[in-house]
This record gives sequence, C-alpha cells and structure tokens, in this order.
Amino acid sequence: MIDNVFDALTLGLATAFTLENLLFCLLGVVLGTLIGVIPGVGALAAISMLFPVTFYLEPTPALIMLAGIWYGTSYGGSTASILLNIPGTPANAVACLDGYPMARQGRGGVALFMTTAGSFVGGTFGIILMMLFAPLIAKYALSFGPAEYFALMVLGLVSASTISSGSAIKGLAMVVLGIIVGSVGLDLYTGAPRMTMGLIELSDGVGLVSLAMGLFGVGEIITSVRHVVAGTIDRESVRLRAMIPSREDVRASTMPVVRGTLIGSFLGTLPGVGSSIASFMSYAVEKRVSKDPSRFGKGAIEGVVSPEAANNAADQTAFIPTLALGIPGSATMALMMGALIIHGINPGPALMTEQPSLFWGLVMSFWIGNVLLVILNIPMIGLWVRLLLIPYHLLYPAVLMFICLGVYTVNYSEFDVWMVLIFGLIGYGARLLELPVPPMLLGFVLGPLLEEQFRRAMLISRGDFTVFVSRPISSIILALTAMLLLYSVWLAFRSMRHRNEAEPA
Amino acid sequence: MEEKSYSRDYRDLIAGGLLFLIGGSVGYYCLTTLALGSVQRMGPGLFPGALGVVLAVMGLGILIPALFRAGTAVEDIEWRSGIFVLGSVAAFAATVRPFGIIPAIVALAVVAQLAEPRIRPRAMVGLCIVLPLMAWLIFKVALGLQIPMFRWGF
Repeated sequence: MIDNVFDALTLGLATAFTLENLLFCLLGVVLGTLIGVIPGVGALAAISMLFPVTFYLEPTPALIMLAGIWYGTSYGGSTASILLNIPGTPANAVACLDGYPMARQGRGGVALFMTTAGSFVGGTFGIILMMLFAPLIAKYALSFGPAEYFALMVLGLVSASTISSGSAIKGLAMVVLGIIVGSVGLDLYTGAPRMTMGLIELSDGVGLVSLAMGLFGVGEIITSVRHVVAGTIDRESVRLRAMIPSREDVRASTMPVVRGTLIGSFLGTLPGVGSSIASFMSYAVEKRVSKDPSRFGKGAIEGVVSPEAANNAADQTAFIPTLALGIPGSATMALMMGALIIHGINPGPALMTEQPSLFWGLVMSFWIGNVLLVILNIPMIGLWVRLLLIPYHLLYPAVLMFICLGVYTVNYSEFDVWMVLIFGLIGYGARLLELPVPPMLLGFVLGPLLEEQFRRAMLISRGDFTVFVSRPISSIILALTAMLLLYSVWLAFRSMRHRNEAEPA
Repeated sequence: MEEKSYSRDYRDLIAGGLLFLIGGSVGYYCLTTLALGSVQRMGPGLFPGALGVVLAVMGLGILIPALFRAGTAVEDIEWRSGIFVLGSVAAFAATVRPFGIIPAIVALAVVAQLAEPRIRPRAMVGLCIVLPLMAWLIFKVALGLQIPMFRWGF
C-alpha cells in the first residue's frame, strides 16, 4: 500500500522511464497521431486493430501503448478537423466547426498551435486530477444512482443539440433518431431482438465505427468531391513562424482552455459521457458565454481550443472510473479493461494497491506521452500536414479505403461495410435537409446507457417517476435541462417573430 | 447565383415529413409487435416505442411551421459523386469476401475515381497501385492482421 504521493510518483516515474515502456509510449502516440490525422480511422478501430499485439506484451507496456493511441488520436484528429473539415475522430468533430473556417482564413497554423497547447493543458490537468483525486472522484461517482446518471445524460444530450446553428428542434430530433438507432439489437434485459429486421448481424446493434464513418466520413466526401479544390491547405500557414499565435489569440484562448479543461475533466470521469460529449458541451458553453455568439462557425478561436482542451482532459480522466472502479466509460475503455483481464489483472478498487507500479507507471507515461505529442504536433506538424497536402482527388479514394478497411477489420464483416454505405446516405441526406448530424452520433452512443439507467431507476423506484426529482442531484440536473429547453424555445419564438417582421407574408 | 425562393419552406417540409414517417413507423412497430411490460419492469418495446412517438411529434413540429413560411431551394443533389462514392463502398463490400483485400481496394479506387467531374487516367492507375501497396504495408506488414490479401473462388 502506498500512502505517500511522493512514493507513488517515484514508483511511477521509475516504471515509465524504463526503455521498454518509453518505446511503447512513443510508438503509441506516433500511431495515435497518424491514425488521428488520417480521417476515417478512429481510435476505436485503431485500438481494436492493435489489440491482438498486446497479447505478446507485458501488461504495463501494452496498456501504455493502447493508451498512447487513445489520447494521441485526439491530438492528431484535430489536425484533420482544422485543415480538411473532416473529423479525424468523432471527438474532434466540433473542432471542424470553427477550426476549418480559421484554416480558410489562413489561420490554420495558429489554430493547430493553440489546440495543441490547449490539448496539453487539458491533458496535464486531467493527469493531475487522476493522480490526486482518483480515489475521491471514484467514491463520488459511486454515490450516483441510475436516476443521477439518467439526468446527467439527458442534460448532456439536450445541451449538445443546441450546438446546431439551425433550430434546436432539429438537433433534438436528431438526438432522438440517434437513440432509436442505438436501440437496435438484442434487448439488454430480455434478449428480445428489436428492429433488427431479422438480420443476425444487427443483433449486436449497429456498429459505432460504421455509423460514425458513414455519417461523417462518407457523407462529407460526397459533398467535398466537387467543391474541394486541390491544395486548399495553405502551406504557409503551417510553417512554424505562421503558427505562432498573436498575443490576442493567446488572450482569447486562455479562459476557454480553462473552461474546456474543467468541463472535460469532470465529464470524462462519468461513464458513458467521455470526450465526444465533453467537446460538444464545452463548445455549447463557449457559445453561450460569448459576447458575440454569431462569430461561432466562422472561425472563432475559442470554439476550437475549448473543445480540444476538453476532450484531452476527458481522455485522461476517463481512466479514473475504468481503473479505479472497473467501470469502462466507453467502448475504447472497455478494450483497455480487456487488455488487463487477459493478463489476469482485475480492474477495480483493488488495482491501485495490488498493482501500484502498473497504475502509477501508466499515469506517468501519460505525462511523457503528452510531452511527446506536443513535439510531434508543433515542430513536426509539417510531416503530418504533408499527409494532408495530397490533392483531394487522390486523397478521398485513400480515405474511402481506410474507412472500408478500418470498418471491415473491426469484425471482419462486410455487413459493417454495407452499414457504412447506409449511414453515408443518411449523412448526405441530412446535410441536404440541413439536419445536424453530430447530435445523432451522440444520441446513438448514449442511447443504450440512457435506456439502461432509466429502466434500472424504474426498477428500483417501483415505477415511480418522482425518483428523478426526489433525489437532489438528479432534480437539480433535470431543472437545468428544463431551463435550457425553455431557453431554446424562447430563442426559437424570438427568431420566428423576427423573421415574420422581416418578411411580411 | 441568386438563391431561388419558394412560398413554402420545402426543405423543412421534407425533413419534418421524413422524421415524422421514421418516428411513426418505429413507434408503431415497437408498440404493436414488441412486449411493452410495465413501467416498473419495462419490456423491450417501451423505450424505443416512446421515442418513436416523440420523434414523430418533433417531425410534425418541424413540418407544420414550414408550411407557413417562405424557404429557399434545397441545394442541388450531387448525383454523380453521391452515386460513385457510395458505389465505391459497395464495390469494396461486395468484393472483399470472394476476392480478398487487394482486388476490393482496386474496385473501390476505380469506382471512387468516377465521382470526379473528369476522369484522370494517370491518377486512377496510380491509385490502383499505391492504395493496395499502402494497405498491404500498414495492415499486413505493420499491423500483422490475418486477412487474406487475395482469395480466389467463393
């Protein structure tokens, strides 16, 4: 048992600085950045592809490498989002909204520099939290019942759907559509197939990778083929000199990074919330606190740095429930847990006392990895950008190949590839009809958890709906949600009246 | 180019109508064919069924106001790139099992190139060589995945 933080730090550093662990950390973050930069291959696909490799490694370097890929993709993913408007990973989708307009204005280098800096701040803060408060936060999350989890997820979904620059009702409708798609498959409690249309392949549900790659990857390519002219990336803007942000940029980014870090650190610890929702939420917050929300979507720097700080902070704090409680917050975290279990290590509250060198070594490797990522993403950014400088007519077949191969190799099932086609069609259709797509992904990811918590809450309360308001934390969260909803209704009415005045019919 | 305007917002009309239809059919299917259970012990159909109804209502909420306001034209559908980009995914999906990874990638590359407004023969040949090579290097050599690069017969 380690009671002293300094003993823990020494042990962690001694573990992380062995040559083997350093090498696997470097390998993990390099692969993570590469996979993040290449649009259409997400962390989930990359980690599942590399999962078999870890069978041959010791548990500590195995986990260090997988974790490196995981947080490395968030760094690399923002590069593709900013320069190409294609999210490298779903968690970076928000960075497109303002990062791409910035790149269009020749400020791509500044956006990349500031997101890397923001990511580093977010990641570092997440690591500190993990070290100091892991036991505390774990205990806090333990006291949450299903009612609290349900309320929190509802708040997340509602706030996320207000991101859409169009109408809130369209965002909410897409969330609901996402939840419906997420409920396809065998029912968790009874095992009854739901909306599988008799297809055995759908009994495990719709694959997250297929859905994300179809909606974002393929849907985007269809609109981009004719519109993206070769060489739209401004080469000058990613020279080291052009990347240096002005004092103005730094000032405009400081508070958003702090807010993003805090939001991300908190949300990352909650199972099922994770880095995607953290980045969506912090974007929504920035838009709300901004003096001039109309700048968002047109290259507002705070709309890029805050979500990126948030998702990196969340990437780190996501390990807290996984390692401290044995509750994986996401599919990727479940894979990390799987790597531990294969090596005979039981993730849970006993992990920190039984395997202190693994836990603290991993934590310290996060820090080394984050430093390596700053080096990879600022002085060496040219290398990654060269990957993106390939003309679009050569790039999109390559992206399509990575999408197809990435999706195919998750389960070696061509059915998953057909699903990409269907979601590509849905993604393109939604774009034409101006229905926002990110809320759908969010609903899809959170839907099954939402249903599970709701059903569990109903089971415990014997079908009494007041459980959501009688418990203080959940009632506060739901009240916040209701306020947010009323606010968007008010906004909608105001804009409708405004429009009617402008164009008397 | 001047944006065409219509007396009704057809974009939201279509969007709301589609969401209404999807929600309605999901709601109808779940509430009629799946077990609903009680609120305390919810059956498999209750949650998605209720959401289907919510989605249908929201669809109406998008559709009805759109009837009473002017709108702009839906942007032109990119038939060509849509068909060939989706077609390239289909080409991969259809060929990967019978023929293996490399023929599937070649099929994907050829079909994907047709999405371009003009065909570039050199780019097409280049892609057909480079993409399979890349896939082989990354997925076979670097990652060591056990996937057949070529496969003959069914």
